[in-house]
Amino acid sequence: MTQTPRSPATSRPYTTSLEQSPTSSGPAPANLADILERVLDKGIIIAGDIKVNLLDIELLTIKIRLLIVSVDKAQEMGIDWWRNDPMLNTGAQKLADENKELKERLEALESGSGDRGSS
Amino acid sequence: VTATGRYLFAVTRGLVDGDLADVTGLRGAPLEVVERDGLQGVVCDVSLDEFGEEALPRNLEDLAWVEEVARSHDDVVRAVASRATVAPMRLVTIYASDTSVQGQLDDLRGKLLAALDRVEDCGEWSVKVYSTSAVPGPTAPTGEKVTSGAAYLQRKRDQAEARRTADDHVVQVAEQVYAALSEYVTAGRRLALQDPRLSGRAEMMILNAAYLVPHNSSEAFQATAETLSERYSDAAIEVQGPWPPYSFAMLE
Repeated sequence: MTQTPRSPATSRPYTTSLEQSPTSSGPAPANLADILERVLDKGIIIAGDIKVNLLDIELLTIKIRLLIVSVDKAQEMGIDWWRNDPMLNTGAQKLADENKELKERLEALESGSGDRGSS
Repeated sequence: VTATGRYLFAVTRGLVDGDLADVTGLRGAPLEVVERDGLQGVVCDVSLDEFGEEALPRNLEDLAWVEEVARSHDDVVRAVASRATVAPMRLVTIYASDTSVQGQLDDLRGKLLAALDRVEDCGEWSVKVYSTSAVPGPTAPTGEKVTSGAAYLQRKRDQAEARRTADDHVVQVAEQVYAALSEYVTAGRRLALQDPRLSGRAEMMILNAAYLVPHNSSEAFQATAETLSERYSDAAIEVQGPWPPYSFAMLE
């Protein structure tokens, strides 16, 4: 089967890092964050027959998980200055605090009515 | 027999038989074209065990699943974009049947045609700018000793002032780069800045822009970006494209 592209070919996106020499640029798979930013946040939103509230998921879980994955990657590369930046860490800290509180409440529940005190 | 749905990747026009012969949809399913008065929906079968209302919320919690589906979705949209004008759908737009897809193409016909007109012969280019200049930190870089409370406060004030000046400068650079690149483009929009944890770069992102650029202007556009990166020595400009016009094919 022959194919004749009728419009200029859209190849895989490639990154041109302009501060580097031109020889080092070339096709590279797009980064996941860039793809998700487009296929989840952009794109035409019309109602399908399958109803799923992407808003809940995209804004909370996916973004949080994406952050966690990238954090590991960043740490591997030795980038960790943001760990001490309270501006960037408020969300994580809040989650950690919430987790701690929930754990404590769970422990209290599991140890009985909670008013028997700790032995 | 498991129930299936029709996953809609994109709406397009002008595809001919065989255009998508070498591209597969999700999970290896063949791509098909659902047509309605010249508007075409690119679809494939998906199992509702995986893409149904019960399974989706669970699967969307799984980043590996999301990545696989997102990359396949993007691959298909990209393949369509290389052969025709494309209006990409958002991830997991799923219908019960072809009749249902055709109903949507009918209902939204005018808006879909307008979206396709807008992005015809154009590609989307992503431009990210990072500030490479060091922002003054909370501790003074000099080893000089603080001798009094007044000196301490003065130093704090100086640091805050330096940071404000640096912030102003960064905002200006972002504005100037964004404006300068608008020359050859049909449309531009600023996307949310990505956290360093997302971008994978330690430098602060100061601009995350998307431009709709006519294919015949893409070289001029890239040349402009190159000129800008020479002009701003304290900014790193990252240009990526062409993407299918995800950020511009919206319905109005």
